[in-house]
Amino acid sequence: MNGILNYILWLPIIGMIGVLLTPKAKENAIRMITLVTTGVTLALTVVLFLKFDNAATGMQFMVQVPWIEQFHINYTLGVDGITLAMTFLNALLFFICTLSSWTVHKSVKGYFALLLMLQSTVFGVFFSLDFFLFYVYWEVMLLPMFFLIGIWGGENREYAAIKFFLYTFFGSIFMLVGIIALYYASGKGVDSFSILAHQGGKYTQLTVDVFGTTFSFERLFFWFMFLGFAIKVPIFPFHTWLPHAHVQAPTAVSVILAGVLLKMGTYGFLRIAFPIFPMAAVENSTIIAVLGLISVIYGAFCAMAQDDVKKLVAYSSVSHMGFVMLGLSAMTIQGMSGAVLQMFNHGTSTAMMFLLIGILYERSHHRWIVKPDGSKGFGGLYTQLPKYSVVFIIGMFASLGLPGLSGFISEALIFLGMYQRFTTITVIAVVGLLIGAAYLLWMFKRMFFGEVNPDCKEYEDMNKREIFYMLPLCACVIYFGIFPGPLLDVMKVSVGQLVDLLAKFS
Amino acid sequence: MIQQLLGFLSFYIPEVMCIVLMTTLLVAEASVKEEHGSRDKIYTYALVVLGLTLIPLLQNLGKAPVIIFHNAITIDPFSTMIKIIMVLGTMGSIYLSRSSKDIYTNLKSEFSIMAVGVLIGGMLLASSNNMLTLYLGIETLSILSYVMSSFKRDDATSTEAGIKYALYGGLTAGVMLYGISHLYGMLGTIQFVEMIPKLAALQGGDLAIVMVSFLLFFAGIGYKVSCFPFHMWSPDVYQGAPIPVTSFFSIVPKLGGLAALVRVSMIFFANESLLSVSWIGLMLVISAMTMTVGNVTAIGQTSVKRLLAFSSIGHIGMMILGVVVLNDVGVRAILFYGVVYMFMTLIVFYITSHLSDMYGTDSQDVFRGLIYKHPLMAVIMVSVLFSLAGMPPFSGFIAKFNIFSVIIEKKYYGIAIVAGINSVISLYYYMKLAKIMVFGQPDGEEKISGFTTANQAIILALFIPVVFLGVFWDKMMTIAGDATIFIK
Repeated sequence: MNGILNYILWLPIIGMIGVLLTPKAKENAIRMITLVTTGVTLALTVVLFLKFDNAATGMQFMVQVPWIEQFHINYTLGVDGITLAMTFLNALLFFICTLSSWTVHKSVKGYFALLLMLQSTVFGVFFSLDFFLFYVYWEVMLLPMFFLIGIWGGENREYAAIKFFLYTFFGSIFMLVGIIALYYASGKGVDSFSILAHQGGKYTQLTVDVFGTTFSFERLFFWFMFLGFAIKVPIFPFHTWLPHAHVQAPTAVSVILAGVLLKMGTYGFLRIAFPIFPMAAVENSTIIAVLGLISVIYGAFCAMAQDDVKKLVAYSSVSHMGFVMLGLSAMTIQGMSGAVLQMFNHGTSTAMMFLLIGILYERSHHRWIVKPDGSKGFGGLYTQLPKYSVVFIIGMFASLGLPGLSGFISEALIFLGMYQRFTTITVIAVVGLLIGAAYLLWMFKRMFFGEVNPDCKEYEDMNKREIFYMLPLCACVIYFGIFPGPLLDVMKVSVGQLVDLLAKFS
Repeated sequence: MIQQLLGFLSFYIPEVMCIVLMTTLLVAEASVKEEHGSRDKIYTYALVVLGLTLIPLLQNLGKAPVIIFHNAITIDPFSTMIKIIMVLGTMGSIYLSRSSKDIYTNLKSEFSIMAVGVLIGGMLLASSNNMLTLYLGIETLSILSYVMSSFKRDDATSTEAGIKYALYGGLTAGVMLYGISHLYGMLGTIQFVEMIPKLAALQGGDLAIVMVSFLLFFAGIGYKVSCFPFHMWSPDVYQGAPIPVTSFFSIVPKLGGLAALVRVSMIFFANESLLSVSWIGLMLVISAMTMTVGNVTAIGQTSVKRLLAFSSIGHIGMMILGVVVLNDVGVRAILFYGVVYMFMTLIVFYITSHLSDMYGTDSQDVFRGLIYKHPLMAVIMVSVLFSLAGMPPFSGFIAKFNIFSVIIEKKYYGIAIVAGINSVISLYYYMKLAKIMVFGQPDGEEKISGFTTANQAIILALFIPVVFLGVFWDKMMTIAGDATIFIK
């Protein structure tokens, strides 16, 4: 069992090599290789889930191999409860995305090869327990994304791809400076690149001089790390790359972007920024909460103003990721658990929304709720596409937080966790939930009810393949809405450790 | 006496081999008939001899440093490593010149002669141990470079490049000599070893004069490595000169100049003093400005050669940061950067040269839709561009990582941020080129022709280190680390 993380991490790369060796013309073989690879990976993560010991503290399934011995850089992998939820999400979404990408016909070989490479790098980010390895995966992940958006994207894809890449790279440079500073602060010892060894608030007393001014090491580099992760999440005011990237990206890439890549940012807070700089995190929790709140409200209002349904969902991601930041800033067990749960639930519900929009787009070739000339883009879809509408309703209600579906539990936990610490912010944030309901329902009304738009009469309902890949997501959304227990149990110990650590500094 | 000289020569074999090569090439060129067969022999001969010089060089790499020719030359692992990089760069450029249409057929063997001559200058510069050999090295390097840059005699830009290069070079060499003569006047010696204690004893006004003299002295080196504010010549020269010459210029003279800069900095300024503090300040400003000017100006370029010229200015700015820290790890970072930079530069120029030969221009448009025309070429070029920008898993990232690492160790956080933002800027223009190659649609159905198996093999062979050193760089760092031994 010890090497299971290695298998999960490298299997997609093996699949990628398989795809690259297949002749270009055999498109179905390429699709099947990808499907089998992601399927086996998913099965392996399920095994990982079952073998995971919920009661054990610390990392499990650790793998450690020396890599660059002079610098004490190791190839270290491991999972804890927080990682495990993300791992499962990643494996599930890639499997589904492979199925949904069946309709991609442009350079099939390159597309699936890049998709598999992306999956491996995302696993790498979540598994890495070595700073150097983490940074390498964090950056390499940008390469397949850049090409996936830039080649298979919409009209304005080049601009979106470059903006996405540059923005993230800008943030990661600050992170890199932080990582190297930590390396020297810990004395270049054996553990100096190990993420775990830095945790626990070891740098509260250290100071640094920059341009003749003395700063606290902890406070300065907390903000360096913050910048790197905040751009990824993205928190207001760093969110401007997101709508472009989402709108231009092909469906599957939007799903991955919203489903797992954004979580890498909040995962960075959970694994790196908070445990390594707990004092600064506690001190600045109000700032984080306020930025989270602005993301929630501002994202929701932006979503409401959109005429492009994909852009609407993209802004709703900004809003929902704001809830995650609110949960993190609470620094209580409920708030943190709620945040991790929200990371998972947002992954499934937004994935549903983007997939559904993709399905519709394949039929309509546009995404306008209201076309630029003022006429309605869709109308009366409910009568035309009954199956589609049912799935859409499930996804939408999960997204807006209807009790009984997954979004509700996580948002409720977040509010519960943060009420005592930030009462006012909680009250305002609840309004964000209301605006969320408003824009989603308004969108639904305009698209699905009312007079049937003549164009919509020719649309076919969902086919079997589409229903097949939507089913697991529907199941997740409903099951974890009623029984969030399995996920909460898994992350309980890991979140508890972090909250205990932060409690020492508040 | 004779015996002593012969003993010295045993350390000087690589240089002697190059000198013999250059003279024999001159004779062979004069006697060759205008047939392709014999020209090929000249190439093979030059490449084989250059390859053979690697053997004594590699042997010298392990030896303890020595001073030969009465304090004029020092052979230490540092200079040897730089020489290895320069020899490899020369071999790459000579190989490129063979197929390039930018070099006229009747000038092809002359290219080899000139390149070997510049290489000799570079070697002299890298192992100079007094001000005179340093100056000689720079001049040998420069004078042949002027000729090389105007190789396309009937082309206005190439001629302009030659004249510009010569004027700039003449001026800065003069300024440098002026600085050296001041130093000689103040200290009474040109030997590095004897200058050190005398520098340490300087006080007050004398110190000020020496500072100014070093500033003047820096002009010469600054011009060779083309750092701000002496970089003005390089875009025009790079654009005007034939591509093999450009690729040669961005490796050999730059690394030679950098080696001299490292040596001078390490010898005179490694000890804490007022002089070293002001030198560090100068280097910090120079590197920040060099990076920023190079990268920002590169954004608007449409000519690929010009873009690469500005980007190489950016890279030099980055490498100078390794000088700022004035310690062994800084030198190690520079050496590693140098190796990686050489491979990346050669690949980029190989591909640019081939495309520019095919379409007759080096505008960015020749890269449009390359992924559809020649996937291998496009994938390698895109990877190398990302490597140049410092993206993992390529070795360009490790090179930058090491530079970041040494400056952060010395707690220069401010300059680290400047360097980081420069990486972002450089990523932008590399990405723009990558974008044209991958996202652009080709104009027609035509494929890239004439990119032979041999060329593909060469490119792949150059590409493997770019990837390999990005993942398994432990060994290379050890080699570079061992090569930081100086005579101080």
